[in-house]
Amino acid sequence: MNSSSSSSPIVTVEGLQLSYVIDHYTNRSVRDLFINLTRSPLKTLSTKERYYHVLNDINFEINHGDRVGLLGVNGAGKTSLCRCLAGMITPQHGRISINGSTRAIFDTGVGILPDLTGRENAEVISSLIYPDISQQERNLIIKDALDFSELDEFLDVPFLKYSKGMQTRLSLSLVSAKGCDLLILDEVYDGADVFFQEKVSARVMRMIENSGAVLFVSHSIEQIEKTCNRLIILNKAKVVFDGEVSDGVKHYKSLTRN
Amino acid sequence: MASLVQNWQQIKVLTFANMKARYRKTFVGFAWVVLNPILMYSVQSLVFKKFLQIDHPEYYLFLLGGLLPWIFINSSWDTCTTTITNASQVIKSFQISPLIILASSLLDCFINFFAAFLIMVIPTLLISQVFSINLMLLPLSISILVLFTVTTTSIFSILHVFYRDIKYVTHFAMSLLFFLTPIFYPPDYIPSSLQWIVNYNPIYIIIAPFQGCLYGGAIREILILQSQGLIISIILLGLFVRLWQKKKNELFLKL
Repeated sequence: MNSSSSSSPIVTVEGLQLSYVIDHYTNRSVRDLFINLTRSPLKTLSTKERYYHVLNDINFEINHGDRVGLLGVNGAGKTSLCRCLAGMITPQHGRISINGSTRAIFDTGVGILPDLTGRENAEVISSLIYPDISQQERNLIIKDALDFSELDEFLDVPFLKYSKGMQTRLSLSLVSAKGCDLLILDEVYDGADVFFQEKVSARVMRMIENSGAVLFVSHSIEQIEKTCNRLIILNKAKVVFDGEVSDGVKHYKSLTRN
Repeated sequence: MASLVQNWQQIKVLTFANMKARYRKTFVGFAWVVLNPILMYSVQSLVFKKFLQIDHPEYYLFLLGGLLPWIFINSSWDTCTTTITNASQVIKSFQISPLIILASSLLDCFINFFAAFLIMVIPTLLISQVFSINLMLLPLSISILVLFTVTTTSIFSILHVFYRDIKYVTHFAMSLLFFLTPIFYPPDYIPSSLQWIVNYNPIYIIIAPFQGCLYGGAIREILILQSQGLIISIILLGLFVRLWQKKKNELFLKL
């Protein structure tokens, strides 16, 4: 494993296993369930639960200063892994130890309440992203994020009128406004224009220098090469590579060719 | 403890932001929240007391005591069953528990119930001049009503993620239960051979103590119903916890 900077791990993942039950998707509605129960009650009630393994025996550490890129084809388990680290999903087996605070964002094109203005949404989003700060600090963060977003006169326009790029600007400005120990960004640059992507990348880099580490999920190899100093590749629920970005990119390309 | 305070802050922010968004679009919205139970109460009072001439000494209080909690349960089921599904983008995008979003919707419904309660119950009590000692038991009846409504709505909201027609099932069940629950008619109108319909009706068990506290039912009966309501609510709470533990991971797959 490559740990590029200092020694104390922010994240330790040991023997992580996650699977989802897939049997009940045959009954997509109460109506289906009722029909199946009346048609073949024994079969419906006695069907064993089937499991789909999303993550299997995952082990790694993330240290201070790590900018970890997470690559993998669709369905490889990248988002599920991030959700486990963010505490949104509980794995069936294994241990996740996080030394500090985690902040995660999985889509930047989302307003909490589209009818409210961008400024009002910023207040709500900030209370979700930063639940543990004082109102005074929150006001400072919101002001900083709104200035950084450069949305100016659009801030008082309802969020539903925003383009995808404008929505992304607002969310990314807020999520990168304050340092944390582990920042998880899951395909969040997709809606932003190139200029803003670079502006946010620079801000995230400064943030990481001042605090912890970042786990960066993207399908853009170019974006990962620009942002990350370490790469983890997931394939078929397992970590198949953990090391230097340049070596990892070659490995990933060979995987996707096969 | 700190995380409980943080969760409460998030619930408050979401609830008030939601109300702000709703009532900004239509100022009549807030008036409707209060007008809706008043209109239902007025029409039902007229029909059942004047047209059908239901005989009950404190019929207006009896009807109000049944109708308000009924509207609270019905509106919570109706509005919040789809809350988690409707908020799928927010739940999948931000590091926020679906239960916080659900709790904020439920708080919204409770505020509407409480506003209607203050506006309607206090004046009706003053006009009727019925102030029995039963009113002391009202906070406990409201607490059981809230616990029952929160747990049942949470169960339906989680199930709705997996079974998208659950809303129609609850809607249909409520339309049947409205007639099977003694809300607009006294329970002694039901023949003794059919009393089991009321005895095993959980909605009646939850609503009846609230009703009894307002119009002055027998204290012993209220306490028995409160105990039954509390037991039902605790069992439902256990079911909800079990369901949440089992389904919370797969929720993200289905949203």
